[in-house]
Amino acid sequence: MLHKADNSAIIFVIAALGLFFIGGILTTVVPPLIDQSWAKPFENKDPGKGPTGKLEKLTEQQQKGRNIYVREGCWYCHTQQTRTLQSDTIRSGWRGVESPISTPDEFVYDSPHLFGTKRTGPDLSRVGGKYDEQWHRAHFRNPRDLVPGSVMPPYPWIVGNEVEFQAMVAYLQTLGRAKNWRPDNDYER
Amino acid sequence: MQLEASINRPGEIPVSPAIRANESLHEDLTAKWFLISSISYFFIVGIVALAIAAKFVWPQLLGTIPYLSYGRLRPLHVNGMLFGWLLAADMGLSFYLVPRLCGVKLWSERLGLATVGLWNAIILSAVVSTLMGWNQGLEYAELPLPLDIAVVVAWVMFGINIFGTVATRKYTQMYVSIWYTLGTILWTAFVYLTGNFAVLFATGVNQANLNWMYVHNAVGLIFTPVGLALAYYFIPKSSNSPLHSHKLSMIGFWSLAFVYVWTGAHHMIHGPISQWLQTISIVFSVMLLIPVWAVVYNFFATMRGQWDQMRNNVPLKFLMTGVVFYLLTCFQGPMHSLRSVNAIVSKTDWIPGHAHMAVLGAFSFFAIAGCYYTVPRIFRKTLHSEALANWSYWLFLIGGVGFFVTLWLGGFWQGWQWNNPAIPFIDTVIALQPVWLVRFFSGVLMFGGIVAFAYNILATMIGTERQPSQ
Repeated sequence: MLHKADNSAIIFVIAALGLFFIGGILTTVVPPLIDQSWAKPFENKDPGKGPTGKLEKLTEQQQKGRNIYVREGCWYCHTQQTRTLQSDTIRSGWRGVESPISTPDEFVYDSPHLFGTKRTGPDLSRVGGKYDEQWHRAHFRNPRDLVPGSVMPPYPWIVGNEVEFQAMVAYLQTLGRAKNWRPDNDYER
Repeated sequence: MQLEASINRPGEIPVSPAIRANESLHEDLTAKWFLISSISYFFIVGIVALAIAAKFVWPQLLGTIPYLSYGRLRPLHVNGMLFGWLLAADMGLSFYLVPRLCGVKLWSERLGLATVGLWNAIILSAVVSTLMGWNQGLEYAELPLPLDIAVVVAWVMFGINIFGTVATRKYTQMYVSIWYTLGTILWTAFVYLTGNFAVLFATGVNQANLNWMYVHNAVGLIFTPVGLALAYYFIPKSSNSPLHSHKLSMIGFWSLAFVYVWTGAHHMIHGPISQWLQTISIVFSVMLLIPVWAVVYNFFATMRGQWDQMRNNVPLKFLMTGVVFYLLTCFQGPMHSLRSVNAIVSKTDWIPGHAHMAVLGAFSFFAIAGCYYTVPRIFRKTLHSEALANWSYWLFLIGGVGFFVTLWLGGFWQGWQWNNPAIPFIDTVIALQPVWLVRFFSGVLMFGGIVAFAYNILATMIGTERQPSQ
């Protein structure tokens, strides 16, 4: 058949699309049908099975903050996934406690997803509750005031708009909190 | 018929004296306007590229202007280079080579000119939307929905024109460049619909999986096949040697058609996505070596005994260097997908080094070669300056290699540092400062290449030196 595709545009089209759709369907349509965890929101009440908690939908304010995060392209430099690598669970951890890895059920309501591909800055999948509002205010105004050597751009227009700033912080504090992983509940607000 | 059969052997681009006399058959208006637009965007977006490279070194640069912050300029850079420069140049060159391989006029120049107009409207709107921060938040699919719809319309217009030309062709057998062009049109349609429309109906990991299928195949099933269509045409043409093997080009084509689409999930290795899906993507990523080596071997074998032509032939320099970059980038890809390697290089600066080698080093080099080859022919002028063309090659090559190599070394080092959690994250940022400085200066060299290239092409277009009749 492939030899005939040499001369016939119609056979060519059928073969080219057929081969493409085999892989296309098996890798995009089928996986969510097989792996139910992609669509089932995280919920765990049994401490024996790991961190407890429940994935909540974002409030209006948190969603507004997330929209700013998308608008400013924060996701180009910050990933939101603690991978199955020990260096990731240690780096996402806090005060000597390793963080749990990210699982699909923690991201069920995310759209657009913000997993990211590049870590110019640190991963943010467990940043919720690590820094308080005051820290974020100073950091957004000029990151180098708090973290010398940082290459993050300053965001004076977010700090200068109290509604936007509050929304942004509200969103950041939700990150990674579906899993209640801090032993002492020592989250910052 | 006798003549057509004789000039139509597999592996050979059909050219006959009759066709050469028919050069005047082709109006090439669409090709001209696509090339002019794409080269203009190459220059403009090149400035944006320099700006974002500079921001890594001087993070305060333009820092108080929201419209010029990194998070807005980066999508402008990516979309501008991919769709404003490269895809537009690829379309312009397809409008040149498909009619010639079919031995007929372009199906409709008017439809073609409408496509150019719409494409320019899309790119100019995209400049506004990215600077305003109207970002959908999905990589390569940042543009707002109305623009996505306009892209689909423009793509259908392009497809109708090319398919119409192929349907009315005089040569029965389709040269491999035609397959790749047709394949691009078909696959792009579905890849683009997945990445820009289907994603909107999914969330979380499911959406990410669709997004990576699109991102990966935007390169694998859009820029790769259309780039190879150019290489399969311009390498034999500019070296005046027949393609080594028709059969091998078929193996390359059909294995590419089957293998590429499976690999999207390798963007989430070690991430929150099913392990078995990661494994499938790894297996198919490694299988990518088959189409790549089939293609690259064919090009090298075509050049056997012809390498001395590289000395003076600027399009051939770009083409064969592009082939080497293609081989390297497609060797890196399968290696990155292996879990052990991925644990080091994923998410580091290695990745932009890899991505730029594919899109700039391989496919943009093919498109630049195509421009140097076609512009003098369609404008019927001699190239403004061979020396300047040679300069553009060396600027691109040195700038490009500087860019790729420093980012690989830097990214690899960065990955090793990340894997030692005793090193604070900020120290791994500070360590990369020299790498980013070299990257910026490599970018300056490449921008010099863009300026030399764009000026040379422009001067050829408006120049007065007419090409001596062949």
